[in-house]
Amino acid sequence: MSKVVEISPTTRHEGHSKLVLKVNDEGIIERGDWLSITPVRGVEKLAIGKTYEQVPKIASRVCGICPIAHTLAASEAMEASMGVEIPDDAYLLRMILQCGNRLHSHALHDILTLPDLYLPGTDIKVNPFSPEEPVRSVAKRIQTLRMIGQTVGEIVGGEAVHPSNPRVGGMYKNITPRAKAKIYDLAKQGIQLAREQMEFMIALEENYMKRDWAEMCGREVAIPQTLGYHNQGYMAAAPMYGSSSLDANPEWDPARWLEVRPWDWYMGEEEITMDDPAYPVGGTTKAGAKAWPQMQACTGVPLYDGQPVEVGPRARLVKYQNYDRKGAMGLNIARAMEYMDCMYKMIEAVDAIDTSAPVCADVIPQGDGEIGWAANEAPRGSDVHLAKVRNGKVEWFSMLVPTTWNFPVCSRALTGAPWELAEVIVRAYDPCVSCATHMIVLDENNKLVAQKLLE
Amino acid sequence: MEYLGQYKAVYKAKAGCEDILAKSQDGGIVTAMFAYALETGIIDGAIVAGPGAEPYKPEPMIATTVEELFASRGTKYSVSPNLALIKEATRSYGLDKIGIVGTPCQIQAVRKGQLYPVGLRDVPDKIALALGIFCMENFPYQGLFQMVEDHCATKIDNVTKMDIGKGKFSVYTERGVNSQIPLKVTHKYEQPGCHVCLDYVANMADISTGSVGTPDGWSTVFVRSAAGEAAFNKAVEAGWIIAESMDGVKPGLELVEKLATEKITKNQKYLEHRAHKEHAALKPLRNPYT
Ligand SMILES: Cc1cc2nc3c(=O)[nH]c(=O)nc-3n(C[C@H](O)[C@H](O)[C@H](O)COP(=O)(O)OP(=O)(O)OC[C@H]3O[C@@H](n4cnc5c(N)ncnc54)[C@H](O)[C@@H]3O)c2cc1C
Ligand code: SF4
Repeated sequence: MSKVVEISPTTRHEGHSKLVLKVNDEGIIERGDWLSITPVRGVEKLAIGKTYEQVPKIASRVCGICPIAHTLAASEAMEASMGVEIPDDAYLLRMILQCGNRLHSHALHDILTLPDLYLPGTDIKVNPFSPEEPVRSVAKRIQTLRMIGQTVGEIVGGEAVHPSNPRVGGMYKNITPRAKAKIYDLAKQGIQLAREQMEFMIALEENYMKRDWAEMCGREVAIPQTLGYHNQGYMAAAPMYGSSSLDANPEWDPARWLEVRPWDWYMGEEEITMDDPAYPVGGTTKAGAKAWPQMQACTGVPLYDGQPVEVGPRARLVKYQNYDRKGAMGLNIARAMEYMDCMYKMIEAVDAIDTSAPVCADVIPQGDGEIGWAANEAPRGSDVHLAKVRNGKVEWFSMLVPTTWNFPVCSRALTGAPWELAEVIVRAYDPCVSCATHMIVLDENNKLVAQKLLE
Repeated sequence: MEYLGQYKAVYKAKAGCEDILAKSQDGGIVTAMFAYALETGIIDGAIVAGPGAEPYKPEPMIATTVEELFASRGTKYSVSPNLALIKEATRSYGLDKIGIVGTPCQIQAVRKGQLYPVGLRDVPDKIALALGIFCMENFPYQGLFQMVEDHCATKIDNVTKMDIGKGKFSVYTERGVNSQIPLKVTHKYEQPGCHVCLDYVANMADISTGSVGTPDGWSTVFVRSAAGEAAFNKAVEAGWIIAESMDGVKPGLELVEKLATEKITKNQKYLEHRAHKEHAALKPLRNPYT
């Protein structure tokens, strides 16, 4: 007989979500639903009728960890709709901003995921707030990496959280030679630390895979070899930056995308039949309560070729570097492997910058309602924004953000895991639930507007 | 002295370098201090009032060289929103140690931004040297233009210096054609916001300087903070600034205090007046100090 257990809320990731898990007698997940319960803020709906300058600044506020992704994807979707080509040096500044943000975001995720992991050779889980060595130095290194990412973001982007420098048409300002030198210095400091941090994280993640058990709820819970495996595909638009409909060879195809409601993808109403007050911290949902994932999920479900797909660091490495490690730790390792690229690409771009070159297009056509899209490879995966701009106003706007893509994939990846380790799998996706939660718009025939517009 | 703010020392001073003095307003203290601070790494850039699109219309700029500082010498009696660059200085300019010059209200803004950094992330710890200039009142550019072109009957393009002192507004041109008008003529051109200002000698600055109190070509200098004291003393030692005691200097601190007292009492009265219903017929007007 299956039982149903619910972990609500989940912790150590961005936003508000829960896990509804059907488990067998051994506590192994038969079917799991991970869903957003973050209130819908409806950015896509309120964008309609606003100017193309405002919308990317509003979209940025969807998330404060990856505002760079939303700012750039939204700006570039406007540029794609309006047919604006930005100058090379504006692109280089955006690239540096992208690298700085990914560096900061991955380092931040290390803090969130470390408490699941063990110091190799010990049965001690890592507490990043511990004043003891070796953890103390790791925490300091992580914060230094974040400082570097955010400072670089501030210099090229105007602001680390909600960048002010990007604008439709390019950037407001180029940087000064002094600022360029400062980025070099920061990158030089970062490259060493990033290598150490990458090696440290991979060692802990590989060690976790070699372990037989992890301590949870005061028990030893067996770690399956296949923790977090799934058979869904992968989707990525670039190793580092992104792609848009202005590209000669776009790396994303709107014709392959379809969005359905959670109704088709999530479980129906269930009663919680099992609880565990020892689940840290505060226990699981009490038995007897009801859960209805179909109704409660606050996201749409985007499909690519008719299936949910994984996006993020592993998807990028699979598509562009033949990476083949599966499971939750395979995903975490892929993330750690991206550290160095952030540094190398940052240095490459800052090398190429001409600090006296223009950074905004001379002419900005105001749009004739044509559809344009831009995919930004956010820290958590492809962030695709689609827009139609006419006479300077946004007529239609849609955001397909990474965690939205990952919700149903991760739900499938829960199968086969002990329920106590479900959150370890969720965290491997570095979820950003605020990002994921967006609006579904139905037309008078109950048809999805986004879908209809692309038909 | 309540009206002059807190200070560690006060001097009669001027720049040690003739080049600076050549086009500075008074003793060239602002330019000399920033030049010294730039050369020695106390700051890596300074926000100053640079030349704008029209003559005597200041435009805030970030000076990272002595040449750029030279271009900003002299008083422009019109609003230069220097604070507009305070955040950008730490962003695309990449500065770590910022110098900034401003009127008393602008130095207040700097300090408020440091203590309550609303939207000013990573700015507070990057202010290295805030130089304040004395200020009785300021003028919108249109007002200044009218004072020069209409009342002084002088083409503003030809003006090489403007000065307020001894109850007069004076303009000087290259050919020595000078005009003066009594200050009472200029009152109607003052920016209304200056009438609630309760600071004359930039009380919140690291170092404040102005012309009142010392002879022409010299400045009155208040050294206020520990950072200001360290920078000023080193600049004196290095010969960038010549500083002498204020003892016996005519008209001296007495006049500075007299003018400060006049400004503050007058504006305090106006603030009280605004708080009364009669002022606006309908309701009392807002008081930013309460
Ligand atoms: C509006 C105004 C009113 C003033 N009123 C008085 C007064 O009542 N009594 C008095 O003793 N002194 C007054 N001053 C100060 C005086 O005119 C000189 O600025 C001061 O003595 C500095 O001279 P200096 O030779 O040391 O500076 P300099 O070496 O000539 O450098 C002057 C510096 O001031 C900056 N500056 C010029 N105009 C402005 C502006 N509008 N806003 C902000 N910064 C500016 C320049 O960028 C430059 O860095 C006033 C100044 C202003 C701008
Ligand atoms: S009088 Fe006061 S408010 Fe007006 S410019 Fe001078 S310092 Fe600022």
